[in-house]
Order: sequence, then structure tokens, then C-alpha cells
Amino acid sequence: MKVTVATKILEANERIALENRRIFGKAGVYVINLMSGPGAGKTSLLEKTLSLNTGLRIGVIEGDIAGSCDAERIEKYGAPVVQINTGGACHLDANMICEVLHDLPLQELDLLIIENVGNLVCPAEFKVGEDIKIMLLSIAEGHDKPLKYPLMFQESSVLILNKIDLAPYIDVDINKIKKDALSLNPNLKIFEVSCKTGEGLSAWIDWLREAALKR
Amino acid sequence: MHEFSIAQNIIGIIAEQCVRSGHSQIGSVNLRIGRASGIMPDALIFAFDAIKADTIARDAMLNIEHVPVTGLCNDCGSAFTVEDKYILACPDCGSNSFRITAGREMDIIDMDVS
Repeated sequence: MKVTVATKILEANERIALENRRIFGKAGVYVINLMSGPGAGKTSLLEKTLSLNTGLRIGVIEGDIAGSCDAERIEKYGAPVVQINTGGACHLDANMICEVLHDLPLQELDLLIIENVGNLVCPAEFKVGEDIKIMLLSIAEGHDKPLKYPLMFQESSVLILNKIDLAPYIDVDINKIKKDALSLNPNLKIFEVSCKTGEGLSAWIDWLREAALKR
Repeated sequence: MHEFSIAQNIIGIIAEQCVRSGHSQIGSVNLRIGRASGIMPDALIFAFDAIKADTIARDAMLNIEHVPVTGLCNDCGSAFTVEDKYILACPDCGSNSFRITAGREMDIIDMDVS
């Protein structure tokens, strides 16, 4: 006999992600899922964000396949931080976040940034309970990335172009990155920064402060 | 990608529903998979067949209905379907302002049990 199933295959992840969002909402925490390819500068961006005056109480969840070096870098800035090791999974999912979120003092935070595993493909496919997804791309990765990895750009609300200090030394067309990214996602908010020199970071910090406090 | 973990999710869902309906064997399982879902159907079937052996789904077979990617243009109002996995512009007016209305599904519709 035929039995109706009528279930999304990723229903379990979506259900846990919603529950995570409910918990974050109750604690009044704005949550960002920060994604990029490996080495684009996610942890450096977090270090800069924590060292500049945002006026926000920030917590961090670090996601890596192995190791705790990113969490150790964040700890130096005095922010509450938890390290997740996926042991092989190429992205964070809602269940992994669910298992650690009570290790953070959520009631004392305004903003939680979840630094996802470095990967331009999979993190875009999985909700973890965030308010928004933010994507980081280093200009050294090349101007063909938006059209080659469209889902990341379509799923993100903000695109941060990092390492702009390298522009004079590499063959990259930054305008093409922006044009192609906006063709995939016309509502994408784009920042151009250098975590090394500090250029462009004040605009990012101002936006972040307003977004987190609006919640 | 992740067809193996998707296959595990499918087996988990159909096993639970099969038992809940009072049955012990699963035959055909009908899926609806959008062309922009990121799932490669052949890889999914391969993964499912590889891991179903010691489960209640040991005799189950996946049937996949493919859903094309369709969009609705916010500028000219045109509803359109594309062959590709991604839409970059409205094929009628060239606008980048559109929304995807179908093509990202990953659903289990129904199954035969006995």
C-alpha cells in the first residue's frame, strides 16, 4: 500500500535550526553565520572586529575539521569562544551548534558570530539557526568565484571583499567580482576591506553595530 | 553533494514512517528533487543502494521526479523555466531582480510499504 510521507529530506536540520533560532531570539542575540573558502581571512576579520570599538558584547563559535588554533586566537581578545571540531564534516550543521550553544553565556551577548568551516560550497546549503549569512572573499581568490560558486553569493546578505591591500600586486578585476555577485544577488551589501591595513573596516563595524542592535 | 548523508536521512525518515504505519517492508520511494538542490540523482541512488542493506529499506528503490528551476521576474512579471541549475537573469527582460519559485526541493513524497 502507498503511504504518504510528505517530508523534506533535511527536515531534521531545519527543525533544529529553528529551535536554535528560538533560543537565540529568547536570549536577544543576533547571530551571523560567517562563511568563506579556506584562508580568506574569517578569523582575522573576527580579531579586528573584537579589537575595534563595536560597543557590542560578542561571542564566537569556531568551526574547523580539526584543531583549536582559531579559538585560541579569539580567546586572546577576551571573547567567550567555543571550538567545534567536525572530525571530517565539511560544514557546520544545526545539530553541531545545538550541542554547544549552552556553553556560551547567551544572556550576556548582543552578537554571536559562527565561523564556519572554510569551504565555498557546503556551508551555504545548511541553516544552523543564524539571522544572516555573511560571506568573505579574499580578492586573491580571483574574480571568477561568484559565477563558479553561485549559491554562496545567493544565500548571503553581506559580502566582504578582503585583502584589498594586495590589489596592486595581483591580476584581479574587483569591479567584475562586484558586478557578478550583484547579478546573482542584487540585494547583497558589499564591503571592501583589508584586515591587514585596517582599510574599510570602520564601515563594516558601523554596519555590524546597527544590524546587531536593531534585533 | 553529501549524497551519503542525504541517503541516511532518507532511510531514517522512511524507516520511521514504515514502522509507524505498521509495516515491515519498503518498495518504491518517490522523491522530488530540484535541479538546483545540489543533489546529483545518480550519486544519491548509488549512495542509497550502498547503505540500505541492513535496514528495513533493504528492498527499497528510489524513484526521482526532477523539478526544473523556475523563476518569477520582479520587473516584467514573467514566469520562466530554465534548463540550467542557476538563473542569472530574466530571459525575457534581462533583469537581475527575480526570485526562484521552484527547483531547490529535496522531498520524500510517498512510498510503497507491505
